[in-house]
Amino acid sequence: MKILLVDDERKFVTMLARRLELRGFAVTCVYTGAEALKVVQDGAKFDAAVLDVKMPGIGGIELRRELQQLDGGMKFVFLTGHGSDSDYSVGAREAALYLPKPLKIDDLVDILSRVTGKNPEGGH
Amino acid sequence: MDRKQELFNYDSLALFGRVNASISHELKNIMAIISETAGLLSDLSEMAKGGTAIDPDILTGSIDSIAEEIERGFTTIRQMNRFSHSVDIPVGSTDLMEILDLVGQLCGYLAFAGKMRIHPCREASPVVQTSPFILQAVVYQTVAGIFKNTGPDTELDVSVQLRDDASWRILFDGAGIKAFELHAGDGIARMAASIGVAIHWEPAGDRLEMTVPFSI
Repeated sequence: MKILLVDDERKFVTMLARRLELRGFAVTCVYTGAEALKVVQDGAKFDAAVLDVKMPGIGGIELRRELQQLDGGMKFVFLTGHGSDSDYSVGAREAALYLPKPLKIDDLVDILSRVTGKNPEGGH
Repeated sequence: MDRKQELFNYDSLALFGRVNASISHELKNIMAIISETAGLLSDLSEMAKGGTAIDPDILTGSIDSIAEEIERGFTTIRQMNRFSHSVDIPVGSTDLMEILDLVGQLCGYLAFAGKMRIHPCREASPVVQTSPFILQAVVYQTVAGIFKNTGPDTELDVSVQLRDDASWRILFDGAGIKAFELHAGDGIARMAASIGVAIHWEPAGDRLEMTVPFSI
């Protein structure tokens, strides 16, 4: 399963990507919304995108709308360090699912499998 | 109404809440990195138990990352502590450079904020008799307002100069300040007025000036 991971916290992205890769996901990491759009505009295909809600420049909510226009089949999961009700309502409305940080890796894996209808290949 | 009640009203409380929310967001990000790094170490530990050879550099890098994030967390908590204690003294001797330093740190937690460069004051130490929390709130909201309009790539130069024999001025210089607008609803104007601070902004220019009286 191919995942696009977008978050401005570089260390978080690196660690989460390694853990997803150990579970059989193919992960592409980018750190801004602009980079995410470029990757998809350049022709990369993903089953799902995992987006941080709050990022400098293009935030996760707006990014989701633009990515959806480029690839109507892509599914979305939002991550956020904010735990407010308003964030949750936006996440629930705009994305397939919303996960607060810090997250549980098994929850993310379950959600990705559920929204894409696919399972990761191999993994340890 | 006494001075404390006059200064610390709903505007103050609202600002206190906003800053604390941004600090909690920063702390959650730190916890998220530590959590993922610990999770990776757990994954690698399970793999090692199963006989997979683990690169020691990954282990060292992960442990270093946890240590760095803990330090970042302590730094954030120190700023949170400084901010929280700024309400202890309603009115007192206040160093403008300290106010700017803390505002710079706090604005660093805003996703939309650019870089704030604080230049040392060339004159004597710029100390005023004012409400440290309210002044801090006015400066914070002003800087946040500038960055909200100019975006995260903006660099803001901040300096303090003696204006006249009764006031200091804080200068904010940087590309895009011309987009700044004072929103009356934000409470900045009310808070500034409560401590005699005046904010001058020339739409044609690229500079915002804040005048702070020696004493309120």
